[in-house]
Amino acid sequence: MDKRQWAIRLGHWPPRMIEHTMWSIALETLIADRAKLLTALVGVVFSIVLVNIQGGFFLGLIGRASLLVDSSQADIWVGHKGMHNVDFPRDIPRRWIQRVRGVPGVRRAEPYLIGWADVTLPSGNWENAVVIGFERSGRMGTPWNFAQGGAESLLHTDAIAFDESETEKLESPALGQLRELGARRVRVTATTRGITGFLVAPYIFTTFERAAACLQKPAEVCSYFLVQLEPGANPQEVCAAIRRRLPDLDVYTRDEYAAVSINFWMTRTGLGISFGAATLLGLLVGMVMVGQTLYALVLDRMEEFGTLKAIGAKEGQIYSLLLVQAIVLAAIGALLGLALAWGIQSAYSTPRAPIVIPWWLSMGSAALVLAICLLASLLPYYRIRKLDPLIVLQS
Amino acid sequence: MVAFDSAETVVHVKGLYKAYRRGNTVAPVLNGVDLVVRRGECVYLAGPSGSGKTTLLSILGCILTPDRGTVQVLGHDLGTLDAEARIALRRDHIGFVFQKFHLIRGLTALHNVCVPLVLRGMTRRAAYPLARQLLRTVGLGDRCEYHPHNLSAGQCQRVALARALVGDPDLILADEPTASLDAANGQEVMDLLRRLVRQRGKTAIVVTHDQRIFHFADRVFWLENGRVADHLQAPLAPPPSAKEHSP
Repeated sequence: MDKRQWAIRLGHWPPRMIEHTMWSIALETLIADRAKLLTALVGVVFSIVLVNIQGGFFLGLIGRASLLVDSSQADIWVGHKGMHNVDFPRDIPRRWIQRVRGVPGVRRAEPYLIGWADVTLPSGNWENAVVIGFERSGRMGTPWNFAQGGAESLLHTDAIAFDESETEKLESPALGQLRELGARRVRVTATTRGITGFLVAPYIFTTFERAAACLQKPAEVCSYFLVQLEPGANPQEVCAAIRRRLPDLDVYTRDEYAAVSINFWMTRTGLGISFGAATLLGLLVGMVMVGQTLYALVLDRMEEFGTLKAIGAKEGQIYSLLLVQAIVLAAIGALLGLALAWGIQSAYSTPRAPIVIPWWLSMGSAALVLAICLLASLLPYYRIRKLDPLIVLQS
Repeated sequence: MVAFDSAETVVHVKGLYKAYRRGNTVAPVLNGVDLVVRRGECVYLAGPSGSGKTTLLSILGCILTPDRGTVQVLGHDLGTLDAEARIALRRDHIGFVFQKFHLIRGLTALHNVCVPLVLRGMTRRAAYPLARQLLRTVGLGDRCEYHPHNLSAGQCQRVALARALVGDPDLILADEPTASLDAANGQEVMDLLRRLVRQRGKTAIVVTHDQRIFHFADRVFWLENGRVADHLQAPLAPPPSAKEHSP
């Protein structure tokens, strides 16, 4: 056996290389038809961008439904029976906070007040606002991310803080300017960045007493007890202990109440369905584009597949060729799509319409598109399976 | 009937029958073909259109299966092989040359020649030297990186010839290899095929109706109405000149 025959023999080993060797053929034939490759890529990029931007808008919007809870620094939220949304609380007796403070594992408990009041504007108009009162010396539920002023500026007389993205709604008050909140005079002493609720009403932070006055609530009530735990305390056990002491109230850990607040908007507004439907539609369009293009790519090359079959390509080799093309298409499309989605996020995400694209959404969408591409490659595969290599001898 | 020595017999066909079904009618294409081809021979299958030449070639190439009769190729009885074994026989021992070359458009000449080796599991890096050598042999050593659309018809057929030979097959099956070429290119390609087959001790079966290339054959089987109607032996007269046959 000469050198050449040995080389051919050795080519059989190791057997698993058979499919690997199809990569080069798959890649070159894919790149050769640039127009179709571009069309397929547009489909993949479209799907990726749509999933990430739609998903990002959804997460940004729905994240605002639990923003106060997530950023409160409280480990446990205690509120009225049947509490379902952080923005719509009912009054609870403030004096019960002592019972919470007496529960083992509780390090600190503070009353928290949330209610709705009108802001009277210089033009004579008014704006509905969510007034949030935190304990003057408290460490939970206070505003964060200050753009102007700071936490100490809210301790001044009549002081309030609102988010800078709401400036227009409140007719652009500068620091130190006055407004009327719930028939009480208030003064803007600080602004925050990125603290906006799910609803159109702006959040206005102030001290507990001032909030009670603006909301015209008696000093004996509050909306929630915010609880911080001792280090090492088990949140579920402390929750259970508080429930035993205050059976007329609901008790949730921070994550639980955040989920309850999100669930409220999801189930009562159909938000999830509408976003989900739009995303699904986009995916479907992308899938059809990718599937159709892969199919067209194959139809265009039926004779070449016939040739491969005629000269001895196995079904597995043909399929691995299609798989490689689908995987490459998905990978390039996903990279381009994610880059584009991140570009759109950087350019268009605002506090009022935040686009939140977490890593799992990006990875998930890429995995989804890969699955779609693999599925789409099955369609032309079945066409090729039926292909008789005889066609190359009948031309 | 040609007598044969089994060790030297590459193809042995006996009583081959093949029919195509069109609606309710069954049209026999091969109706009792007997054929023996020995190692080192260059045999032509000729005959009018519809005489069954391509069908016979497809059966010998393990693409079609016979309805009746026995077909032995390289010692394998095709009637007993399953689909997987037929593919393996085709891939490992048979080289194809097609009328329309059927090169892969997206691949360069070099990569096209590598394809049969890649299908056998060889990496392209390992296949390159063999493919380059073959392309040099067919006179295209300087066209390795050309894509088929940048090559002439004659060059494409020479690339196809290199592809058929690169896997060192025992049997080469060619389907009208000169039909898409002008007379001069046709003569060149057939001369090359004949030379390579002789040099390497291979066997070639060529389907053609181009009588201008008959002189390259050791024997010509003339098929008519699904049977071998005539059997011409070398030496066969070459055409007066290639130029006279140019269209």
